[in-house]
Amino acid sequence: MFWKKKQIESKLVTQSITESELSIEALKKSLVQMDDAEFVEIDISDIRKIYLVYIRTLIDQEKLNESIIKPLTNCSKPSIQDCIVNSSIIHIPIFIEAKKQLFSGSILLFDSSQNLWLAVPLKNPLGRAIETSETETILFGAKDSFSEQVEQNITLIRRRLPIHELKAEKFTVGSMSETSVVLMYIEGLTNPDFVSTVKEKISEINFDLFFDSSQVAAFMEEHQHSIFPQFQQTDRPDVVAYSLGLGKITLLVDNTPFALVAPITFFHLFQSPEDYINRWVVASFLRIIRYVSFVLSITLIPFYVALTTHHYQMIPLQTLLVLVDSRSKLPFTPFWEAFIMLIFIEIIREASLRMPTKTGQTLGVIGGIVVGQAAVEAGFASNVLIVMVGISTIAAFLIPNYLMTKANSLMQLMLLVFSSLFGLMGIALGIIAILAHLNSLSSIKQPYFSPVSPFFRKDWIDLFIRGPLVKMLERPEHLKPLKLKRYKTRR
Amino acid sequence: MTFWLAGCAPFTENNLIEEISPITFLSISKGDNGKLKVSTILPSLSKKNKNVMSQEVSLLKEGVQKYNLNFYQEVKSGQMRMLLISDELAKEGIMSIINVILTDPDIPLRIYLVIVKGNFEKYLESQLDKDENFDYSFYRMLKHYDEKNQGELTVINLHQFKHLLYTPYSDPFLPVFKIQEDGVNYEGTALFQDDKLVETISSLDDRIFQLINNDHYLSVLPISELEVVLGHVRSKIIVDMDSSYSTMTYTVNIDTRIEEYRGEKQLFDPKELENMKKDIETHLEQQTHELFKKMQELKVDPLQLGVQTKRPFSKPMEEKKWIEMFEEMDIKIKYNINIDPLTDANSKR
Repeated sequence: MFWKKKQIESKLVTQSITESELSIEALKKSLVQMDDAEFVEIDISDIRKIYLVYIRTLIDQEKLNESIIKPLTNCSKPSIQDCIVNSSIIHIPIFIEAKKQLFSGSILLFDSSQNLWLAVPLKNPLGRAIETSETETILFGAKDSFSEQVEQNITLIRRRLPIHELKAEKFTVGSMSETSVVLMYIEGLTNPDFVSTVKEKISEINFDLFFDSSQVAAFMEEHQHSIFPQFQQTDRPDVVAYSLGLGKITLLVDNTPFALVAPITFFHLFQSPEDYINRWVVASFLRIIRYVSFVLSITLIPFYVALTTHHYQMIPLQTLLVLVDSRSKLPFTPFWEAFIMLIFIEIIREASLRMPTKTGQTLGVIGGIVVGQAAVEAGFASNVLIVMVGISTIAAFLIPNYLMTKANSLMQLMLLVFSSLFGLMGIALGIIAILAHLNSLSSIKQPYFSPVSPFFRKDWIDLFIRGPLVKMLERPEHLKPLKLKRYKTRR
Repeated sequence: MTFWLAGCAPFTENNLIEEISPITFLSISKGDNGKLKVSTILPSLSKKNKNVMSQEVSLLKEGVQKYNLNFYQEVKSGQMRMLLISDELAKEGIMSIINVILTDPDIPLRIYLVIVKGNFEKYLESQLDKDENFDYSFYRMLKHYDEKNQGELTVINLHQFKHLLYTPYSDPFLPVFKIQEDGVNYEGTALFQDDKLVETISSLDDRIFQLINNDHYLSVLPISELEVVLGHVRSKIIVDMDSSYSTMTYTVNIDTRIEEYRGEKQLFDPKELENMKKDIETHLEQQTHELFKKMQELKVDPLQLGVQTKRPFSKPMEEKKWIEMFEEMDIKIKYNINIDPLTDANSKR
């Protein structure tokens, strides 16, 4: 009862502030107990007073002195707008707008003689410089990557696509964080269905805090419980620009260096920006290696477990001699042996991410020695399994998409359980389940397993192989672009 | 549901490799009172002390079951690679053994069948101290000659044997190994009439058999009578049968080269070489003729010559009838040898 009453009271207070008229008093009232809120009074003449209201931590102090205070103190013109030289100066009529401007890094000016409220953006340019991408490193090609400032990120994309058709629409998500999300697409090329789907999804978002693009993605994905990412997250402007050029949409989220690209397919997770830099035969070879290593990473250990627990008949005699020898003194069954090792590898992998760089090496040495040698010598794991765990762990890292690498571990564990229960039949069932699941997924309502299913023959030129660029004269059909041809028709 | 319809049990037997003992071979010989003597080495794969296990049983599977009762690990036959049958048993017929092995889904069709002359169990016992993995080495040897098609010796697996046994116009054959003091030595090829061993051909007869039937290739063909060794011998066979099936011309075209010669002839001389060629041809023709004669007498057709009687749009001849015809057939053997000439560095040719 008491609690309820209190809540109603606080509601009344906020209502009165937001609905109040724009005045210095009202602002003071709303910014009470904010140490970094500044109210400055400047007397220009006896009758004329200018009030400055700003949040100190959000604005550029130097610029304030140079472009506002200095010109104002010498201002003899009747309108203060004439004294201040700033292109984006705006007039504010209401209190809510004033607060919004204040918290987005603008400075509010009140001319008492004219009863005029103005806002001048003076946002603090605090931020990171453009650096090399750490998650998608490549040897050749552009090295720049996105930073946390969304405006800067848009610039990086616009430099690559200097066309007026490239649209950037801004939305705000998060009732508390008020995070800007910028939707980018090429008008007249990207299928309008994608744009409308994304807009619809953004408008449906109802949450308070957004600090990362993956949170935005989580609210927009159609299959929340799937382990497969339905948005490609990349911090490379060249990847985004290429994707936009193919007819995809991109979402840039403020304060996140990772852009979201959609619609994607399962096969996009195996494509690296380097594919389009290498010669096509080399790129195709590397791409095939990636697919092979993906299959290896999820099936190698389950195969080992299936063969050693159920199908001893299938192992070549020579290999069987080695296997029996290496397994003869182990206390665990192949399943538990493999399970423990995989969980241990996951622990090392996770720990190496959190560890400071200097201690990281120690972890590698300890992990390597403990896993590689001591486990075998102590009789907890067999030599053969250690080799296989090594191969499958390294193979998992070949996949360029980090989110997919994580999904890999889960698929591997699922197949491991299946293989220990049902042998090779279990692996087959597990793979069928994975394929069925992939087939049911979608990314912004587009099939996740295309161009394999639904089948688009022409898109196979850039699927398992990366065909020669000169032959890739059409955009992928499964993206349903409005312009299919990638070349200018000669007249 | 699909599981059970496919005959797959969802919970299989315990096949953990460290808890079972897969046997790699079974040696079967004649026991007392019409019983079978089944022997193997256990454990076959791990490096623990190995023992030769022998059981006298009436049924083959009974043997494997008895091993289980006497051994600490469960004996499994899924890794079986060789089946060694004694020649005494083979002479009485091996159909029942073959059928048991064939119908066991655990046992692969690629297991090698071998006829052994002598007491193999005794040999195994004496050999275990010297070579722990004797069985494995023996298997590797058979596998090598099977895969590389070197044409050195006959290697037949269960699938091939079954095929030869149950296909019309063909009789099976198997390699014969003899236990001697210095080891297990290849002796030749055993010819079967249906499932019974009737004859073992060895030395030159076996070489000719390899050349005209098995792989059509011999890396070395020594002919001691002529003091010559032919190398890299490749043969092409042309069989011609007349319409009444009374005569058959069996032409063997051979490409080879002389690897060694210890005789008196000057082989650089084309004339002498020609004479030499003629001699070899006559010798091989004679030998082959004798081999064919032997087959005719034994009423066996391992070369599957009966297939030549098949004609399109007509009913194939009964096998029995074919064998009767084959027995009385006049077979003409003809060898055409093409010897790569040796070149004389001093020759003015």
